[in-house]
Amino acid sequence: MSVTVRHLREQFDDAVQQREASTLGMWAFLTTEILFFGVLFAGYAFCRVMFPEAFAAASRHTDMLLGTLETAALLTSSCAAALAVREVQLGGRRAATWLLLATAALGSAFLVMHGFEYVAEYHEGLIPGLRYTQHGPHAASMQLFFCLYYFITGFHGLHVSIGVGLLLAMAWRTHRGAFDQDYHTPLELTALYWHLVDIVWIFVYPLIYLIGRAL
Amino acid sequence: MSARSPTHQTRSHRSGPVPPSLRSNLLVLAALLVLLGLSAGSALIPMGVFNEVANLGIAAMKALLVLVFFMRLKTDSPLLRLVAAAGFAWLALLVALSLADLLSRQNLLPPW
Repeated sequence: MSVTVRHLREQFDDAVQQREASTLGMWAFLTTEILFFGVLFAGYAFCRVMFPEAFAAASRHTDMLLGTLETAALLTSSCAAALAVREVQLGGRRAATWLLLATAALGSAFLVMHGFEYVAEYHEGLIPGLRYTQHGPHAASMQLFFCLYYFITGFHGLHVSIGVGLLLAMAWRTHRGAFDQDYHTPLELTALYWHLVDIVWIFVYPLIYLIGRAL
Repeated sequence: MSARSPTHQTRSHRSGPVPPSLRSNLLVLAALLVLLGLSAGSALIPMGVFNEVANLGIAAMKALLVLVFFMRLKTDSPLLRLVAAAGFAWLALLVALSLADLLSRQNLLPPW
């Protein structure tokens, strides 16, 4: 009982109500995130309908193998984050700390792999406005694909970076014993954020890497 | 405190939903990775418009798995399911109405 009371703010009746308010607030934020990325996806849909061949041609310039590995890394990290929350709920602090560190490591691996992609694209001359050396019938409209690609993956990468920072902070706090079976809301909300970043990537993967692959 | 050791877990948590089993979480991960493989594999087979249907269908299934199990919408408060559904519903409206405008518009020649 004392553990629960220690974290209970005065405006709430009990721990259940307090947690519900926090998760509801987080979900309200996550829906704004859905719409933030949604605008980019809507722009993508619009341009893709206008220039289907250019989008297929541009997609073939992306690295499908790295994209697939990045997706696998994020999916696995999501599972690790879910397991970390579960561990804390069951009282396993040590395992939870390691699971959070594993999640952050997989997130960092994702960022490194994506960095390699950006470097390769720079050398290939695929960055509109910076270094764009493509020629051919679709070269002009392919720039639209790459603009959307850099905006979507750039903002997603920013979210992953923030997520890695939050996960490391949560790992530290879990290690220090800040969370227990009764109170672990910050950890839970960080995991929710991380899962949403994962969901964004689940849609980025087919839309960026997989179009025009079958010839 | 002693009554809360993992061996005496009652599976009812005071402030939140019951934690999922290890098995279920690992099964979801396995399903996600299988779907990823299907997604990559199907993209290499020429199926015309069905490539896109398969790609987006698999992505939707993966997203649903993450939402329902990892984000615990299945066991958490119904209010959260409502908020999550609202977020995706507005996104669907945004994409559907943008595309409806694009796909249904004809080039009208000026009458002169």
